[in-house]
Amino acid sequence: MTGETGKRRFREIVLPHLDDAYTLAKWLSGDGADAEDIVQEAAVRALKALETTSVERPKPWFLAIVRNASITWMARNRSETVTCAGDAADLDALDPRLGEPAPDPEAALIALEDSERLRQAIAALSTPLREALVLRDINGLSYRDIAEATGAPVGTVMSRLARARGALTKMLKPEP
Amino acid sequence: MTDEPDDRMLQLNAAIDGELDAMRALEFERALAADPLLDADYRRLLDLRRAIRRSAPLEAAPQALSDRIAALAAPRRSAAVFQTRRSWSSARPLALAASMAAIGFALGAGLTWLRTQSAAERVTQALVSDFAQAEIANQPFDVASSDRHTVKPWLAGRTTVSADIVDLASEGFPLAGGRIAVIDRMPAPTLVYRHNEHMVAVTELPPDAPGAEGGGAIETIDGYHVARWSGRHLAYVAVSDMDEKTLGEFVAAMREAQMPAEKTP
Repeated sequence: MTGETGKRRFREIVLPHLDDAYTLAKWLSGDGADAEDIVQEAAVRALKALETTSVERPKPWFLAIVRNASITWMARNRSETVTCAGDAADLDALDPRLGEPAPDPEAALIALEDSERLRQAIAALSTPLREALVLRDINGLSYRDIAEATGAPVGTVMSRLARARGALTKMLKPEP
Repeated sequence: MTDEPDDRMLQLNAAIDGELDAMRALEFERALAADPLLDADYRRLLDLRRAIRRSAPLEAAPQALSDRIAALAAPRRSAAVFQTRRSWSSARPLALAASMAAIGFALGAGLTWLRTQSAAERVTQALVSDFAQAEIANQPFDVASSDRHTVKPWLAGRTTVSADIVDLASEGFPLAGGRIAVIDRMPAPTLVYRHNEHMVAVTELPPDAPGAEGGGAIETIDGYHVARWSGRHLAYVAVSDMDEKTLGEFVAAMREAQMPAEKTP
């Protein structure tokens, strides 16, 4: 029966990574209900793809689909008109908040004990920086996997991570 | 404010992330021992990492979502559970339906295994399943457009069958978009038309494809209505959550609209 192979692959490749997918989608969209829709959409895309192909490294592969589904979702929800033909635009193009503060080597004390404040600081990062940080520190992907999942060169991934952590350090400095 | 991080910062981050190879790691450890400022930065980054993991841990996907997604790929036909028709706008409260899917499955699977499906039934069942999946994901199309000049080239780039798109807006069935159905591992163009809050998905198949034969009669599979008919160059399978009568009107309108094209040799 056609379809059974795809479903078997789906169960092996996609189902073990639903928590990672949901967490990533939630950080990218900023909303739990939206994250559910995004992951559902990504799962349907993944199932379709797995009908005809298998993958070697499931986690970055599926998270790439989740990430792209998030971009499509954001594009759809930012503009009223539904246009999703063609390739999704790059995240940088979607997010107006470019140019995060450069890492400040002099920064000393930061407020790490305040979880809520840290979460807000992560949420305040521009999307490309937040995406790199979440994939690395929360999803636990390697640089190479992040590069694969986001379609960015490894050098760009490194730079985004350094900028993300530098920006967090800066944002979490205690108020003077 | 757009300064790129310097090499020192990149190296620090790579060290935190365990991305330095052995030689670089050794160099870095020596530098760390010799440079208190570097060491302080290193420890601060480690603290930040620990704090992120503590404050923003991996979150478990909600059970309802996991159930819904598991149901998509449950062995054998998951479409068999969608006995009732739902409107296209109700995507979220599907959790219960999805959990019941698993149960329905366990009950239905035994019977299904025993049934030998003909190739035609298989294709039809696959299309119904495809329709149900698109509906449950609330994503009935991959390209959303009411303009056939947008949809046609999109489909043409992805399939071997050339999509034959007719305009049925004046009959009350505006084009909503297109997507690809995978039938026997071959991509088949599928057009989605809208009627009020209902949808009909028309998949175009080569005329000799199994499941293509049929004179437009409507059958009911898993709560969905299915019509099959053959044109001169292509065969069509329409799956819909509309009622039988409306689907009949749609098929008649579509065949009528196809006539001029069909007559040319």
